[in-house]
Amino acid sequence: MVSLLRTIRSMRRVGLREWWHQMQYIGDAKSGQFIGKDQFGNRYFENLNPEEEIPALLGRHRWIDFAQHDFNATQVPPEWHAWLSHIRKDPPTEDRVMQNLSPPWKAPWVENLTGTRGAFKTYNTTKPKYEAWEPKVSARGGP
Amino acid sequence: MSFLRAGLAAGPSSRLIQARLASVGAHSMLARRMLSHTSRLQAQAPKHSEVHHPVDHLAMPVKVRSPPLDASFPPDTKVGDEIDPYKGGPSAIEKAVHLFFFTEILRGMWIVIEQFFRPPYTIMYPFEKGPLSPRFRGEHALRRYPSGEERCIACKLCEAICPAQAITIESEARLDGSRRTTRYDIDMTKCIYCGFCQEACPVDAIVETQNQEFSTETREELLYNKEKLLANGDRAEAEIAANLHADHVYR
Ligand code: SF4
Ligand code: SF4
Repeated sequence: MVSLLRTIRSMRRVGLREWWHQMQYIGDAKSGQFIGKDQFGNRYFENLNPEEEIPALLGRHRWIDFAQHDFNATQVPPEWHAWLSHIRKDPPTEDRVMQNLSPPWKAPWVENLTGTRGAFKTYNTTKPKYEAWEPKVSARGGP
Repeated sequence: MSFLRAGLAAGPSSRLIQARLASVGAHSMLARRMLSHTSRLQAQAPKHSEVHHPVDHLAMPVKVRSPPLDASFPPDTKVGDEIDPYKGGPSAIEKAVHLFFFTEILRGMWIVIEQFFRPPYTIMYPFEKGPLSPRFRGEHALRRYPSGEERCIACKLCEAICPAQAITIESEARLDGSRRTTRYDIDMTKCIYCGFCQEACPVDAIVETQNQEFSTETREELLYNKEKLLANGDRAEAEIAANLHADHVYR
């Protein structure tokens, strides 16, 4: 149970439906400014009012609403990860540095696939140094 | 007070500190302490001394706050000179009242009530995250130049400096004659995330990204090879480059 006033205030702001959704996922009623949406449909919010959300140094003032039901911290693409972890001040939609440094060959983000068939399985990238012995039977020659 | 205790523990030099404290007037502050703790601190240099010293003509006009050369310290305490540590404190009845009416519990409950009406502190990970530094050392990645050419030149400096010996490199000349790694393995289970490899790298090829959420279900998935490291770099290049940019003035 959190501050009653804060819960009611957030509930009135975001609406009952969104509040129910938040309670199912974040487990706390939060309201703030919608900052953006990434390519996967995750939504990002921010509330810089220190009376409503614990600010900086603790980090409750930025949050994400995952698009997937089976949510996972690695579903955040790196650009938004930098914003969500308070590494960058501006979201990637406004961050000129981040935009200018995005190379054209950037690969698509994949979430951590451990435990699935897509999990990374290591392999050798060089030619093996020794070969397994392959027995060769020379033909029996007779006179 | 920890400073004073340190002074006491310092042995011979503690005398010096006592005299200094006495001269700067910290003495009244000490009067409330337990006698057993601070007995030696009660010592003061006598105001006048009978011992006559020759005049020092090199003496500076500035008043130096150190004990005089002829300071002699009297015995620690005299009878009747003790300090009553309970003087001015709460009386026994006051203490009993607080004890029997549970005032401490009520005060504690008041603090709980106060917290109840404040915004909660708990960070709801993974929806919210605590702040990370641009220098955070997480999962490794191999970077590329903006042209798409891989940066690593197989100099093996990172392999040499790695204190956990987590990096294994083998190199060969490529068809165009440039030296490249054929094997670049990092055993992430050995790595201690010290960041020496990225410090050692002359071309900023190996970096530690800000990704800390790469936990796996099996140990095997943490034995990264070159392809995996390059893939890490390719997908997170924007964040890596932005962090290096944010920190470039300090490097
Ligand atoms: S971070 Fe340290 S332990 Fe890990 S690979 Fe780099 S040098 Fe080795
Ligand atoms: S990653 Fe850097 S330090 Fe390591 S071999 Fe390549 S160029 Fe050298």
